[in-house]
Amino acid sequence: MAEPRGGTERGPQGGPEGKPTSATGFEKGAGPAGEPILEVSGLVKHYPLTRGILIRKQIGSVKAVDGVDFALGRGETLGIVGESGCGKSTVAKMLVHLEKPTAGVIRYKGQDITRLSGKALKAVRRNIQMVFQDPYTSLNPRMTVGDIIGEPFEIHPEVAPKGDRRRRVQDLLDVVGLNPEYVNRYPHQFSGGQRQRIGIARGLALRPEVIVADEPVSALDVSVQAQVINLMDRLRTEFDLAFVFIAHDLSIVRHISDRVGVMYLGRIVEIGTDTQIYDHPTHPYTQALLSAVPVPDPAARANRERIILTGDVPSPTNIPSGCRFRTRCWKARARCAEEVPLLAVPEVFREAGGPAAHDSACHFAEEKQVVP
Amino acid sequence: MLLDVHDLHVEFHTRDGVARAVNGVSYGVDEGETLAVLGESGSGKSVTAQAIMGILDVPPGRITGGEVIFKGRDLLPLKEEQRRKVRGAEMAMIFQDALSSLNPVLSVGDQLGEMFTVHRGMSKKDARAKAVELMDRVRIPAARERVRQYPHQFSGGMRQRIMIAMALALEPALIIADEPTTALDVTVQAQVMELLAELQREYRMGLILITHDLGVVADVADRIAVMYAGRIVESAPVHDIYKAPAHPYTRGLLDSIPRLDQKGRELYAIKGLPPNLMDIPPGCAFHPRCPMARDVCRTDEPPLYEVTESETDRGSACHFWRECLHG
Ligand SMILES: Nc1ncnc2c1ncn2[C@@H]1O[C@H](COP(=O)(O)OP(=O)(O)OP(=O)(O)O)[C@@H](O)[C@H]1O
Ligand SMILES: Nc1ncnc2c1ncn2[C@@H]1O[C@H](COP(=O)(O)OP(=O)(O)O)[C@@H](O)[C@H]1O
Ligand code: SF4
Ligand code: SF4
Ligand SMILES: [Mg+2]
Ligand SMILES: [Mg+2]
Repeated sequence: MAEPRGGTERGPQGGPEGKPTSATGFEKGAGPAGEPILEVSGLVKHYPLTRGILIRKQIGSVKAVDGVDFALGRGETLGIVGESGCGKSTVAKMLVHLEKPTAGVIRYKGQDITRLSGKALKAVRRNIQMVFQDPYTSLNPRMTVGDIIGEPFEIHPEVAPKGDRRRRVQDLLDVVGLNPEYVNRYPHQFSGGQRQRIGIARGLALRPEVIVADEPVSALDVSVQAQVINLMDRLRTEFDLAFVFIAHDLSIVRHISDRVGVMYLGRIVEIGTDTQIYDHPTHPYTQALLSAVPVPDPAARANRERIILTGDVPSPTNIPSGCRFRTRCWKARARCAEEVPLLAVPEVFREAGGPAAHDSACHFAEEKQVVP
Repeated sequence: MLLDVHDLHVEFHTRDGVARAVNGVSYGVDEGETLAVLGESGSGKSVTAQAIMGILDVPPGRITGGEVIFKGRDLLPLKEEQRRKVRGAEMAMIFQDALSSLNPVLSVGDQLGEMFTVHRGMSKKDARAKAVELMDRVRIPAARERVRQYPHQFSGGMRQRIMIAMALALEPALIIADEPTTALDVTVQAQVMELLAELQREYRMGLILITHDLGVVADVADRIAVMYAGRIVESAPVHDIYKAPAHPYTRGLLDSIPRLDQKGRELYAIKGLPPNLMDIPPGCAFHPRCPMARDVCRTDEPPLYEVTESETDRGSACHFWRECLHG
């Protein structure tokens, strides 16, 4: 068994009482209780849209991420949901330095890590690891499982001295529920669920404090999905990990998250604890999204109100003025086209407090129960 | 019964051996009824559908037994030419991946229109008008202008609606939808499923909905057939199965999904992996993963027992269905 990460460089742990119970009480209202381990503000990623081969001319930009703020507490799991193309993976890639933000700041334990390079970057990267969506393509088919899981040690030899690596890798296999004797096998000899376990073992190798998981179970069958979700659930307690958990399946996100952020066209439009988002959503997009999720209970058919959105998500090259959701919002009024709604506790709920008082970027936020 | 599949067997002969993909599937659907076929990937859902439609890859595939009785006659002995007439006009299929099942170099109007020129002998002009009407019917905005566009110019949800339009074109009696919304986002999935259910009611079609999503099933199905390793392991009206499953595999599936309306604790996880179809376990194929398995399960293959305690028409391929039903 790999012992949990040595606690030398870590501060005090947030126990169960350290878990956020309310999103309010934090300056921006979007944060967990206690000092965040990871904090993102004004995060932007625009990809230039060019035309021409000889003379490349920029004719616009794909606004993949367009101003994202959130904070992640120690040992906390923040779920991020949203439809395809809303920028979830792009956020994930910026968090682990696979993409450079166009603007904005990423802080790790208070330190600005956005533009770090060289040694300083390497030290930070060790603590923030990623698990990818596709267990079929994210592992190098020509490397053995031992080499795949042990590869991070090549980059960070200080974590595990050479002679110790094989044992470490076998410990990691054991931790994720795979037979330690499999070290010399190749990825194609494993099923999808097993490959995802390999990806998780690799993510754990450097004993990070934060794991960014981008759709880690989306490609798996239901029965196998449950195995992997339970594994992640167990590991985050055992290793006291903070998770950014990205998925489009709202049921899975509810299951695993302490807090949830809902993204639409490059921005978080609503964020709060799981109860706030699922039982007291105030943003029309969240309400529509939740109401569209089929519930595995035929008895709920009759008494469920569906909000069926019309039209498609606009292109991220051409984001609507004012509120970006207004082209599909059934509540849109003139003000929505003129004024960008900020992600904050809406005024109507500020006084009264309660579970509806959480960040929601809508001028006309209203509580609506949509989950049966 | 509109369609009655009886004891269907399909094998694939590959380099590595014989994969027994479908091993005695029986299910039926009435007009106006929705049958959901549920199962994990590789359980034989699509292969069964392909055999019904007559679009199986032969070789490597081979139908080694069974009957597909549609409107009273067995389709399997029919010649390809006769099958082709049934296909499209009387039964149609909607696939998961609309982009690859539409022709990329033909406008959607031409593809929709072809249904009418080929099957109904209509003129090009009339067929075009029909195409616009159908696109309207599946709520493609500005159908008159967009009829000239190519598949890639439509969003995923719209392409799936065009596939539905194509399947509906000749008002078939039966539609098989193979994971029609799996590739779509939930909001779009809701649009597409609502449309499909509405059109099905209107035309009183029989619908076979193939899916692995227990939520979608609960929303639209009348009956469910659960597949495992190429067999139906449980068959029941939708309300019964969610209330009290009579097969351990169904129970495992229901317990293993996180629920939107519940902040659950640890999920139940079915242990192990689906079987290798080249080497299906003897006895009950589910026994290596079944928490209730006993000696007899390793040797005797359970038939689809009638669940006699139920007032409705239910079947379970488990020797111990009674225990499962009450546990
Ligand atoms: N390298 C790139 N160049 C140009 N545009 C890009 C690039 N990467 C992503 N995009 C665009 O940015 C937007 C957000 O993409 P992203 O992959 O973050 O979405 P996502 O929320 O992860 O979606 P999904 O649920 O499908 O995984 C999309 O419109 C995408 O096409
Ligand atoms: N053309 C083919 N050649 C060989 N094997 C096939 C072919 N089509 C399907 N199979 C096999 O048949 C089994 C059942 O497949 P399928 O019906 O597609 O499953 P699903 O339930 O996911 O739809 C799988 O093991 C699959 O690999
Ligand atoms: S600000 Fe206006 S358009 Fe945007 S979500 Fe609220 S009501 Fe709808
Ligand atoms: S027959 Fe036996 S192994 Fe098969 S499902 Fe029933 S109890 Fe389990
Ligand atoms: Mg993504
Ligand atoms: Mg299939």
